[in-house]
Amino acid sequence: MRTHDVVVVGAGLAGMRAAIAAHEAGVDVALVTKLHPVRSHSGAAQGGINAALGNETEDSTDNHTFDTVKGADYIGDQDAIEILCQRAPLEIYQLEHWGAVFSRQEDSGKIAQRPFGGAGFPRTCYAADLTGLVILHTLYTVCVKYDIPTYEEWFVTDLVTDDDGHAVGVVAYDMIHGTIETIGAKAVVMATGGAGRVYRPSTNAHASTGDAMGMALRKGVPLKDMEFMQFHPTTLAANGVLVTEGARGEGGYLLNKDGDRFMTKYAPNKLELASRDVVSRAEATEIMEGRGIDGCVMLDLRHLGRDRIMERLPQIRELAIAFAGTDPIVEPIPIRPGAHYHMGGVHVDNWGAAPHMPGLFAAGECSCVSVHGANRLGGNSLLEAVVFGARAGEASAAYVQEHSAAPKVPSNAAADTQARIENLLSRDKGIRQFEIRDELAGVMQEKVGVYRSGPVLGEAKRTVTELRERFQSVVVDDKGKTFNTDLIHTLETGFLLDLADCMVTGAIARTESRGAHSRTDFTERDDENWMKHTLSYLDDGEVRLDYSEVAMTKYEPQVRSY
Amino acid sequence: MPATTFRIFRYQPDSGETESYHQDFQLEHGEKTTLLDAILRIQNEQDGTVAVRYSCRSAICGSCACKANGKTVLACMMQVEHVKTDSGQEIVQVDPIGNFTPIKDLVVDMTPFWDKFKAVKPFLIPDGPAPEKERLVPKAAMEKIAKESKCILCAACYSECNSLAADPEFVGPAAFAWGYRFAADERDGQRKNRAKLYSGEHGVWDCTRCMFCNERCPKGVDPRDAIEKLGSIAFQEKVTSDKGARHAKAFLISLRTGGKLNEILIAPYTDPIGAPFNAPLALRMAQKGKLPKSPLTHRVKDRDQVKKLIKNVKETI
Repeated sequence: MRTHDVVVVGAGLAGMRAAIAAHEAGVDVALVTKLHPVRSHSGAAQGGINAALGNETEDSTDNHTFDTVKGADYIGDQDAIEILCQRAPLEIYQLEHWGAVFSRQEDSGKIAQRPFGGAGFPRTCYAADLTGLVILHTLYTVCVKYDIPTYEEWFVTDLVTDDDGHAVGVVAYDMIHGTIETIGAKAVVMATGGAGRVYRPSTNAHASTGDAMGMALRKGVPLKDMEFMQFHPTTLAANGVLVTEGARGEGGYLLNKDGDRFMTKYAPNKLELASRDVVSRAEATEIMEGRGIDGCVMLDLRHLGRDRIMERLPQIRELAIAFAGTDPIVEPIPIRPGAHYHMGGVHVDNWGAAPHMPGLFAAGECSCVSVHGANRLGGNSLLEAVVFGARAGEASAAYVQEHSAAPKVPSNAAADTQARIENLLSRDKGIRQFEIRDELAGVMQEKVGVYRSGPVLGEAKRTVTELRERFQSVVVDDKGKTFNTDLIHTLETGFLLDLADCMVTGAIARTESRGAHSRTDFTERDDENWMKHTLSYLDDGEVRLDYSEVAMTKYEPQVRSY
Repeated sequence: MPATTFRIFRYQPDSGETESYHQDFQLEHGEKTTLLDAILRIQNEQDGTVAVRYSCRSAICGSCACKANGKTVLACMMQVEHVKTDSGQEIVQVDPIGNFTPIKDLVVDMTPFWDKFKAVKPFLIPDGPAPEKERLVPKAAMEKIAKESKCILCAACYSECNSLAADPEFVGPAAFAWGYRFAADERDGQRKNRAKLYSGEHGVWDCTRCMFCNERCPKGVDPRDAIEKLGSIAFQEKVTSDKGARHAKAFLISLRTGGKLNEILIAPYTDPIGAPFNAPLALRMAQKGKLPKSPLTHRVKDRDQVKKLIKNVKETI
């Protein structure tokens, strides 16, 4: 059996940052990813990463903390947000020292910063509109330099626990060689990214199927705040591809079919740079009330001029031309809100450690610390991935140094998975995974979207339950061992169904409107009853909810307006 | 709604078949359907065994490069109808990227690509310790490597590379684009060592300058330009002992002195030891009239013009 001190599942920003931190702390760490590290979806992040460097105007970590607390609609843990914002400048400098190609100020040569939604100051560091790609590549080059062992195209199917319920490794399917193997470890860091593929349209990659959440949930680890899914205000109508918030940060307008800048009604101060939940609701309202064009509103960048678009937003132009047939230099881009970022995730503490399972850590979008609360600010996700990725790496290394005994990995772990998969492959008749996925994504979009209500959420719950039953007779077309993507999609679909159930169940219970969770039957925020995190467990296939406290330091809840 | 025949490369070692073949799939699809969406629909609706790498479907993860009617494209970025109009063909044939060994259908063994990427030392090696905050870098200096920083490692260039087709050990366009990205990074302290590392056998001078990498790169990285810039860096750093560098230098000397190329002199300058062994080739060339009659060819009249041209070129590098 292969073993390492620490196994990190997922090799995007959080996973690679964790692996680098663990390596630097002197433990034997390996990355396992179902893709190649540079294929990870962190690379699709465009607009930037926040840190109060104060390069453009004076700024402070306190300002950053307050903006994040407010953006989260007061349900983020304030102690965790303070950690996030205080470590932010250090992580940016670290990335720069490792070679990240940040865009620079004209005269000083310092890192340039642009305004972003929900932020009081220009605080978002960027590399044109390729910030995620540049940081992903930077971290990968460091992994190459450190020669960190990486299991590429190994799909992790299960989290392995010992008799005491401690995390002691993973089981994975080596897609190229067609084998199923156990990788033992003294600590496991989960960093597999979001579950955006529960929805359609979604800005997320096909691979964003929330695997870590699904695996943890099945091992009794609770997921936190699953009802909070962020809908990004600017996604392309054709396929849900992201158009960065940086487009509005650079000065882009949102227009309805009458050519009005409708954000003057909804957020008179911050306009297009209100927080994402506010802008998405405004767009949804405009479209519902008949002031959209073919289910879209318009993002107008023309007044920025060709040079600024080519310098700051080159990828946006390329994507708009490729997928919408629209050149933003000459015409506005039709856009609409689309599922983008999941605030919920594996319940972990400020060090990324899961309180319910010793040895398990999680970081990045698959985790919930929580720093984003009910609504994440643009530019805070890459930041969270590197800050809490680093912390989870450091904490897992420290855990390993304290628990140096060899992990007691059950000898039958891989065989159990193998048997389960063989059983699945032996089925000849049934429903294919894509039919279930399509229906699931459709119902989540329609009934668990920007606006929600009790009765409609109830319908969604029934459909999800029925889909989970139908999934019991799923059939896999491909019976082969090598690169069996049909099998992988089927296993992913299983995770998506469980996660969707947690999202819907949490949304039904939360009878208030907060951040991205907006109920038409409970339109107000209810701090008295709902200033708490939702925890979802899976008991015998049924979702059970529990709640936990929100950590407060010095920021009293206020009315939230932009 | 258009209907298209997709002729997909199949290789299914699990089924015991050792030979590859092409299989036709018919699909009705929307006007703007991308090649990737078409392949995924085939995978879902007709044959779940079709294997393809993909993820972001927004031209940034670099997974889904393949050949569509002979040209390497990102499947997610290319519309089916565009493949048909570009190629003038009604059938869309989909093949794995070139210069690789297939593993299953469109999935190839990328190991050589990643090994060569790692071989160019693709990480920053600065001189001295880092400052407390960020290093200050002029905007223009950072923009010098902006184009190469956009490389998504999709291997479209590698697929199209003619030097690789002739020499599988050639390092290849993407890796050199990354090499340039670090060699030209002001913050890196290894410019000269990188120039040495990237010269030599299978190195930058082995590029045939066919320009296909520039032509087919979906992200506008222009790897050939990066290779050329690495050549310039080699000269600036006086790393010129490589045959390729000597060959380039011989061109320049020949132009300066005679105003045009003198191949009889170029060969010995490029490779003083090896040149005599090429005498039989030279003889055959002479017989076919491919060589000037005398090594002392007459000089062009207006050599000042030539010198001006050389000066102009130098200033633009």
